[in-house]
Amino acid sequence: MDPKDYKYIGKNVQRKDAKDIVTGKAVFLDDFTLPKMIFGRSLKSPYPHAFIKEIDVEEARNLKGVHAVLTYKDVSQDYKMGWPPQKPILSQKMLYVGDTVALVAAETIEIANEAIDLIKVEYEILPFVLDGLEALKDGAPQLYEEFDHNIVTPGYPPFQKDGAFWHLEIGDLEQGFNECAFIAEDTVSFDKKPAPLAPEPPGAIARYDGDENYTVWATSQSGYILKIINSSVIPNSDLTVKTFNVGGSYGNKQSLTVPVMSAVLLSKVTDRPVRFFQTKVEQMTAYETRLGSQVKAKIGMDKDGIVRAVKADWTVDTGAFCNATQGQVGVGIGEAQLVMAKCKNWDLDTNIVVTNKQPAGIVRGYGGQELNSCLSLLIGRTMKAGNFDPVEVYKKNYVSDGDEYFWRDGRKWKAHSIDYTEAIEISAEKFKWTEKWKGWGTPTWTSEDGNIVRGVGCGIIGNADVGEDNTEAYVRVSPDLFGSKAHVIMQTNITESGMGQRSNLAKMVAEVMNVPYEQVQITDPDTMQNPTGFGLCGSRGTITYGRAVSNAAVDARRQLFELAEPYLEVPPEAMQLENYGVVTKSRPGKFVSWKQLIPPDLTITGYGKHTENFSTPNFFMVFLEVEVNKQTGQVKVVHMLGGTDAGQVIDPATLEMQCHGGIGSASLDTALFEEHIIDPATGRPLTYNMLEYKWRTFNEFPTFDTVMLSSQFDTFMFKALGVGEIAGAAAASATMQAISNAIGVEVAEYPATPNVIFKALGKM
Amino acid sequence: MDTKDVTINANDFEYSFSVGTKFGQLSASETLAETLRNRLGLTGSKEACNEGACGCCTVIINGNAVTSCMTLTVDCDEKNITTIEGLANPETGELDPLQQAFLDRYAFQCGYCTPGIIMASKALLDKNPTPTDTEIKEALSGNFCRCISQYHVIEAVSDIAKGVQK
Repeated sequence: MDPKDYKYIGKNVQRKDAKDIVTGKAVFLDDFTLPKMIFGRSLKSPYPHAFIKEIDVEEARNLKGVHAVLTYKDVSQDYKMGWPPQKPILSQKMLYVGDTVALVAAETIEIANEAIDLIKVEYEILPFVLDGLEALKDGAPQLYEEFDHNIVTPGYPPFQKDGAFWHLEIGDLEQGFNECAFIAEDTVSFDKKPAPLAPEPPGAIARYDGDENYTVWATSQSGYILKIINSSVIPNSDLTVKTFNVGGSYGNKQSLTVPVMSAVLLSKVTDRPVRFFQTKVEQMTAYETRLGSQVKAKIGMDKDGIVRAVKADWTVDTGAFCNATQGQVGVGIGEAQLVMAKCKNWDLDTNIVVTNKQPAGIVRGYGGQELNSCLSLLIGRTMKAGNFDPVEVYKKNYVSDGDEYFWRDGRKWKAHSIDYTEAIEISAEKFKWTEKWKGWGTPTWTSEDGNIVRGVGCGIIGNADVGEDNTEAYVRVSPDLFGSKAHVIMQTNITESGMGQRSNLAKMVAEVMNVPYEQVQITDPDTMQNPTGFGLCGSRGTITYGRAVSNAAVDARRQLFELAEPYLEVPPEAMQLENYGVVTKSRPGKFVSWKQLIPPDLTITGYGKHTENFSTPNFFMVFLEVEVNKQTGQVKVVHMLGGTDAGQVIDPATLEMQCHGGIGSASLDTALFEEHIIDPATGRPLTYNMLEYKWRTFNEFPTFDTVMLSSQFDTFMFKALGVGEIAGAAAASATMQAISNAIGVEVAEYPATPNVIFKALGKM
Repeated sequence: MDTKDVTINANDFEYSFSVGTKFGQLSASETLAETLRNRLGLTGSKEACNEGACGCCTVIINGNAVTSCMTLTVDCDEKNITTIEGLANPETGELDPLQQAFLDRYAFQCGYCTPGIIMASKALLDKNPTPTDTEIKEALSGNFCRCISQYHVIEAVSDIAKGVQK
């Protein structure tokens, strides 16, 4: 199709659920209820590492209205969560503050809470470890017997079908460093495990359906990911997963293992649907955070500003429990290569370690952001040593058509069709980079009294996961029972969690079928009733679902053309769809309606699929200017620009908002103030609620510009790729660069709170 | 607590509850958010943080934007409450201009916090029909939005403040 002919693609179109959202009609899980549904709650460990010596639940069980109380004594210890399967749903050993001691199901939430208070527990408190590098040491407290030195056994079958991939070793490192004129070596930490903090807390309703079959309604942005990750917990189990609108996820609400498995267990023993929601405080203290990262690295750059050698040890702190972390580490290794794509010599080794902190897992940025926030500071040092302009260096080093890299499946991929040089140049120009950039360690502006300084910085990141995971879709043409129109039904498994993609895909189908967007309908998200789809995590939706639904529409169109041959007496190549019928240009006036072609009450069903492909990495670049008050140590971002080339832009307004989204979900502000502060004496998070945990309020936003190019990349029919996930992923390192330039001293400690600034300035 | 009944007016409809501890009675500790969502089926406003920090449960009580999770229903006796469900014209279904502005400006992403943001904006505009952008931002500083729709929200509210018709 010629982009000039698009009716909906590239234009702002009102989301199908828009009116429901502004009227309060949109349904989220908490608004939904089932007949005879009861309420689940859990007693949570007050200690980061402890053994249950004794537990007495008699009084709780006897409370009127209580249907079940479960402890480790009541549940198979082989029902293990995570990958590799490691953590019993209910265990005798507590591994973090907020770990599940006991589960209760009761007629009301109040009775469940009362029952929780009646459980008596005697703990043996064990020594705990809160730091990833400490956890690796001899003699450190061990969380799991099978994880020697707390190192998680490598291997993640869903992502790595050829075997485990955790260590990138290619080229000749010594030779590589010999070619370098500038080398930086240090350990950088990005380990404060900030909270992605979706507004809607994690929750699930489970219903037992016999044998080991369960229906789960969840606040998951991907029902299918929830299904595959949690299917390994109870042997021979099958979960059918349904979702509603999801109140923010940012990658964080996918598998929901703890709430889902809690609800599942309780539903089986009570044979009642059980609703299990975490409170906001539980979400903040016991639900998944961003991964912790400590990176000891050496990076070498040649005299032309090309990175030639990278040696790095990446310690990944996954908290008390490892779910999809191995996939994230694989992607992190991949993303590092995209930023330093001309480098042929790598030794990037990783260790995933468990510590006595709340679990860490998937958040927008997916491992890549955590590693990028560390490595970029060292790339910056080599740039500084060579006195290079960072924009020029990133432009030279960033992945482009023909560059090769190893992705998270351990296989080698070659970049295809993409080139982001123009996007980098236009973004820099719009930000007025050359005007503002005064050199390393030099402020762009200083107040008259010298107390307030401004500096600029930039960061770059990309992800090839945009083509991940096999996906399929049906497109059904259903002529109206009365009248001459038809509805086109897109049968595919997509949960709406804010990106607007359910509607964007309807736009694609409307283009192919040449029907009004309003006539395209989408099935509700459900893993059983829809064909396979991994949801919208990781910006995969544009390519994977885009290809699947547009191919399915093309298939439906092909069938209509075949049926139309006897009527139009021309070959299918000469036909087109128009006004719910088929026409041909060669015989004007000839028209046959879909209703005439399709037997009464039946439908035409087209099938389309996408197969996994990591050859078109996306791109996002952040430019920003910060202002530092040297007297108070306070830093604020005054202006920010997000630049990308999304291939064909599908919906400018929603893409722009995805760019804005890079400020939230523990992205930009992990460089400024977002962190979980844990009391080292007790192991308890002090930032346990939304008053203690710092987040950016409406009146504190910087001005924001976007650059969104619309190149025609060779991805699928509509030449687009997704970019939303990485919008903020390079913002943290860009902020550190800007702060360092503003105050003239390098700052490399996340987040750069006033304390950190004072330390850097030698005032503390 | 002397009264045996509590009467609230929610979206121009009067509801009386008997207060007590028996099954089905409104307990003295029940929050307005619980009453609206669980008893009246007005699930538009959300219970997210239950500590008055995120603004997702914001409704308008006697003209003021209030977090309904921090308000006891027994304290709402004889009060007028407007929720997101009460903004559109009940007879014609026509949206409030503010709701329309949110549509026109694409002022939401996941939409979970949107009802609270719209109600906080509505209370501001009812009191001050021409707020400046700074006043809008201040009025919404108690509303949490993690998808980052703030830029578009400010445009939408500002359109109303400036009388922009799309």
